[in-house]
Amino acid sequence: MKSRELAAGVVLGAILLILLFVAPAFFAPDNLRDLLLNSAGVMLVALGMTLVIVAGHIDISVGSQFAAASIAAGLLSKAGLPMPLVGLLVLGLGALLGAANGLLIGRLKIPSIVVTLATMIILRDLLRWTTEGAWVQNLPVGFQWAGLGQTAGSVLILVKILVAILLVAWCLRNLSAGRQLFATGSNPDAAVLAGIRTNAVVTGVFVIMGILSAAAAMLNAIRFSEVPGNPGAGLELKAIAAVVVGGASITGGRGTVGGTVLGVLLLSVIGSALTYLGINPYWEKAVQGVILLAAAASEAVRQSRGLKGAYASR
Amino acid sequence: MQAVKILVALLALEIAVFSFTGANFLSSGNAAEILRLSVELGLLAVATTLVIITGGIDLSVGSLMSLCAVVMGALWKDAGWPLETSILAGLLTGVVGGYMNGFLITRFRQLPLIVTLGTFSLFRGVAEGLTAAVKNYTGFPPNFLSLGQGYLFGAIPMQALVFIPVVLLFWVLLHRTGIGRSLRAIGYAEPAARYAGIPVELRLRLVYTLSGLAAGIAAMIYVAHIGQAKSDAGTGFELMAITAAVLGGTSIFGGKGTVHGTLLGLAAIVILQNGLRLSGQPTELAGILTGLMLIVSIGLEQRPGMSRVVLAVGAMALALLIGFNGRAVKTGPEKRLQVGMMPKAKGDPYFISCRKGAEEAAKELNIDLIWDGPTDLDPAKQNEVVEAWITHGVDVIAVSVESSASISTVLRKARAKGIKILTWDADAEPDARDFLIDQATAQGIGYAVTDQTAAILNGKGEFAVVTGSLSAANQNEWIKHMRVRLSEKYPDMKLVTIRPSDSDRDRAFAETQTILKVYPNVKAIAAISAPAVPGAAEAVKQSARKDVKVTGLSLPSMCKTYIHDGVIRSIVLWNTHDLGYLTIQAADALMKGKLVDGFNAGSLGPHAVRGDHVMLGEPYVFDISNVDKFEF
Repeated sequence: MKSRELAAGVVLGAILLILLFVAPAFFAPDNLRDLLLNSAGVMLVALGMTLVIVAGHIDISVGSQFAAASIAAGLLSKAGLPMPLVGLLVLGLGALLGAANGLLIGRLKIPSIVVTLATMIILRDLLRWTTEGAWVQNLPVGFQWAGLGQTAGSVLILVKILVAILLVAWCLRNLSAGRQLFATGSNPDAAVLAGIRTNAVVTGVFVIMGILSAAAAMLNAIRFSEVPGNPGAGLELKAIAAVVVGGASITGGRGTVGGTVLGVLLLSVIGSALTYLGINPYWEKAVQGVILLAAAASEAVRQSRGLKGAYASR
Repeated sequence: MQAVKILVALLALEIAVFSFTGANFLSSGNAAEILRLSVELGLLAVATTLVIITGGIDLSVGSLMSLCAVVMGALWKDAGWPLETSILAGLLTGVVGGYMNGFLITRFRQLPLIVTLGTFSLFRGVAEGLTAAVKNYTGFPPNFLSLGQGYLFGAIPMQALVFIPVVLLFWVLLHRTGIGRSLRAIGYAEPAARYAGIPVELRLRLVYTLSGLAAGIAAMIYVAHIGQAKSDAGTGFELMAITAAVLGGTSIFGGKGTVHGTLLGLAAIVILQNGLRLSGQPTELAGILTGLMLIVSIGLEQRPGMSRVVLAVGAMALALLIGFNGRAVKTGPEKRLQVGMMPKAKGDPYFISCRKGAEEAAKELNIDLIWDGPTDLDPAKQNEVVEAWITHGVDVIAVSVESSASISTVLRKARAKGIKILTWDADAEPDARDFLIDQATAQGIGYAVTDQTAAILNGKGEFAVVTGSLSAANQNEWIKHMRVRLSEKYPDMKLVTIRPSDSDRDRAFAETQTILKVYPNVKAIAAISAPAVPGAAEAVKQSARKDVKVTGLSLPSMCKTYIHDGVIRSIVLWNTHDLGYLTIQAADALMKGKLVDGFNAGSLGPHAVRGDHVMLGEPYVFDISNVDKFEF
């Protein structure tokens, strides 16, 4: 049942074991903290992506949402709003962007890959056009670490991420909405017949995705004292890869929060691990690709599926 | 069918609008340029149409392009193979890569989305690993380059010779053969196709192999077009190819789609970009409008109805017109000097501050300044913009060159048409331009950064360099001079590692964190890309290592707070605002025939010209004593 999650865990464990013998310095608390903080953005986005993929959809506009939310966070804070309000407004913006995707996909029934491809391009170029890549600078002192200082600030970020992970995991397991999500992803027609409003489920999932992208942007932005002009490029594929490595099925209906967390950790440890092992970091992408392919192949070996729709992209 | 109708309407609308607003939009020369720009993307889009018709998707084609290009370049340059054999090997790489996709998908019964997402990462990863993302193969013989840059009968771009037959073959395959029909069958209902006796696995492997071959051909043309083979080739092409196919009526669910529809979709995208450029409009509008077209045309297919078509076309017309800000109307009888000025990347704060200076000079001199360029570093895009300016007919083109090998041919073409060429910030080949606006020599910069690093270390100890993209010619040149300075003057200093940051603040931050831990003896970081300096400084600050200091090349405004914190000891730079200002002043003087030593550069006063170099002055060191005096 959970063999894919297990596989990701085993590979991660193996890498950590090698590091333990070859480069024990990797396990210095500072390094682990930095690794977790640097993967904070991908983690939250991948969390949302898990829900989207379980629902049988995909969202490639998350990188652009992340960029919009980052810049909004900077601008709002610069306008002198208190940080909690900034956070709230940024999450609201994320919800709005997610709702636009959700309505086009849930209501108009346009395939999610097409809609989010379009909104990815539109949002990204809209930002480039309006900001021209300018950084948001001279932010108030209360912006970085939400004014709490580095130690408390990083604890705050890690705690918030942990809370988000636990919350999503709990909801998926215990709320009826979680079961509706799995039902919609497994077989949308059957879900409708079972009385589930699949439109609302799909729209809702994209709204949550937007909120989580915005939260990722917010938590990433406050680690610094300035906001760059065009962040988050390529984030979408990183998140999807992590979710797949974590054992979710891209056809929908299957995926766990625990698996995704392992997937994110596995993929983000690699870059740093290569450096500690003295290997040229330029092989990072190649290694990540191999892991993704291996994860996909391992599923094939594990289960021989029926023929229906085996090759369909959606 | 519906989608094709809408698309034809949109295309007609685009052409109608741009023939009014775009200078020389309706000319045979521009038609040739549009064709040239479409070839690489077109090859991928047509092949991807077949993939999508089977219900699949191929995200790996852009990455595969980079692998084919790098394999070809490495075999030719490093292994000394003949060019023909290297090209064949490049194409073969595409075939093998494509077959690998098909094999993994059919053998392991995996979704194309996952497999090609994996190879998307794998192919580019191998290309980067093989070349350490630094090597840049250039110096290809002219007869090969003419494949991407030359003309047939003086009018038709040479790559059409490859493009048109390949597209025809794909069209015949899809629309006139049993294989084409079997692909549709697979896309509509794969189990049914199987029961009907279609060899599904074989067909799918064929389709992905063809997609790989198309990527190989596109890679060879791309290399010939921009004159260099590097691991960044084809970035983002996969999504553009899919966009063209879907816009052209190919159903993402499989079964439906045509080669000619995809060509129409491609034309809609390319003409939009070209037309906006010729109209002097920001090219970001092209992305926004492409995205809207995608949603509108697919949305209409899901919910057909004539009134909606009218509504949609009307909305698009409005969107197009709003985009124009009435600029075209402004072109009155007065003939102002028109200067096209291009940064390496529009989004880079360094260039944003150059732009301010340029605009100030343009205002003083009543010059019509067109500021355009790639959003992120992209040599192919730079060529595209220069081509558009040639068609547009500007008086002076001023370029900050990303890749000298790739842009020099098109700059020579512009010179042949009587356009004056300046390079600023980074040079092209000397015979491809009239003057270089020289902000500081590579030697001066390399030495200055090394001296600042030495001041941190007191001439003794280990340091690390965080660079931009490792491929940038400028930065590699600076590092070269840094090494010279080290061996000559600072034998006790050791450069232990050079890390890439992709000119991304967050990446520079993470890289510096790793450097600090893996190389505990490093006491100085020299970051030589503007966003990398604050990234490195933040990492040092958060590590609470008081014994490490940062220096490098960056903007005072980005580093001010860190300089006050004492994390950054000093940064080296010229006055970027003045660099932009001087470039426009030089363009004006050049047109008036007054660009000689001691020419009057407006508020900068008389300026030195040495040979064909217009000198800005010495690099400037910013530290705590003076940083607050500067606004850029």
